[in-house]
Amino acid sequence: MSVVDHNAIELGPRISEADVGDYIALLKPRVMSLVIFTALVGLVIAPGHFHPVLAFTSLLCIAVGAGASGALNMALEGDIDALMTRTANRPIPRGRVTRPEAMAFGMTLAFFSVMTLGILVNWYAGALLAFTIFFYVVIYTMWLKRWTAQNIVIGGAAGSLPPVVAWVAATGSLSVEPLLLFLIIFFWTPPHFWALALFRSDDYARAGVPMLPVVAGPDATRLQILLYTIVLVAVAAAPWPLGYFDAIYGVTSLVLGAGMLACAVEVYRRRERAGSLRATRKMFAFSILYLFALFATLLLEEVAHAVAARIG
Amino acid sequence: MSDQREPEGIVLTEAQKRSRRQRSIAIALALGVLVLLFFAVTIVKGPAVLNRPL
Repeated sequence: MSVVDHNAIELGPRISEADVGDYIALLKPRVMSLVIFTALVGLVIAPGHFHPVLAFTSLLCIAVGAGASGALNMALEGDIDALMTRTANRPIPRGRVTRPEAMAFGMTLAFFSVMTLGILVNWYAGALLAFTIFFYVVIYTMWLKRWTAQNIVIGGAAGSLPPVVAWVAATGSLSVEPLLLFLIIFFWTPPHFWALALFRSDDYARAGVPMLPVVAGPDATRLQILLYTIVLVAVAAAPWPLGYFDAIYGVTSLVLGAGMLACAVEVYRRRERAGSLRATRKMFAFSILYLFALFATLLLEEVAHAVAARIG
Repeated sequence: MSDQREPEGIVLTEAQKRSRRQRSIAIALALGVLVLLFFAVTIVKGPAVLNRPL
């Protein structure tokens, strides 16, 4: 049953009681924090000097752009969100914010984030941020999400772009390193979200969202999680032998990758209800730690090099 | 006879007034940040503020 009665007839104008917290919730702050962190790494590993004010401006625009995507996503998915326990508490299903209000909020933020990044930093980065928002809202939310079980595989490209936008903001050009970061997040997304979808499959089925566990079943999903994790571990370690990132990163990625693989094998093996639930929740939690730790390693290495260069 | 007249049209409740004020302050702060951002970048870039790639 939906939390919001869409057939209700409103008498007179509706006066909003939404507070700032409701609008902040529309920005998906937790997703935004990961976007900011990965973009920060993209900025820090970019070569050359980038003025701190411009770096802050770039990060702010990328963060607001991500928030705009979140608000537009919620505006378009209000009906689905109302049907799922995980999302029923969002501002639109609760009736705090209407869909047109969320749409206007998201469009305004999207416009200002792209224009500000373009005007103050560079237009390549502005254009790429606009493309990222377009991809997440139109390609993923409006098209893929309700249409195919590959929704989060292709849609994951939007979440993988922030470090690339940051790199382009810092350098005005593209290189192999940001594309490697893109690939890491791209291959990380399916095992991460399918682990969530496995223990939330009833939610997705009720909302009619064709997530892989709903369409292909849990066993096929477990296999896909394992296969994608193997590719992820290889992709994440590859920059070391290829000479883009050094040995500290390489060893860290292998150690963390072993943890991811262990989680994926556990998810694949545990088929009984209680064990499966525990394994998928563990995989979901560890995948967040994995990505954070991998990017933190790059960040700390870069900071260490900068400090060593200053001392030396 | 009292000078106070009954308010006409829509009368906001206290909760509506409070949330509207909160939203107005948030919009003002956001605009203030935007102004400061443009000012700071103009100072950083100097006369070259309009010289950017593309």
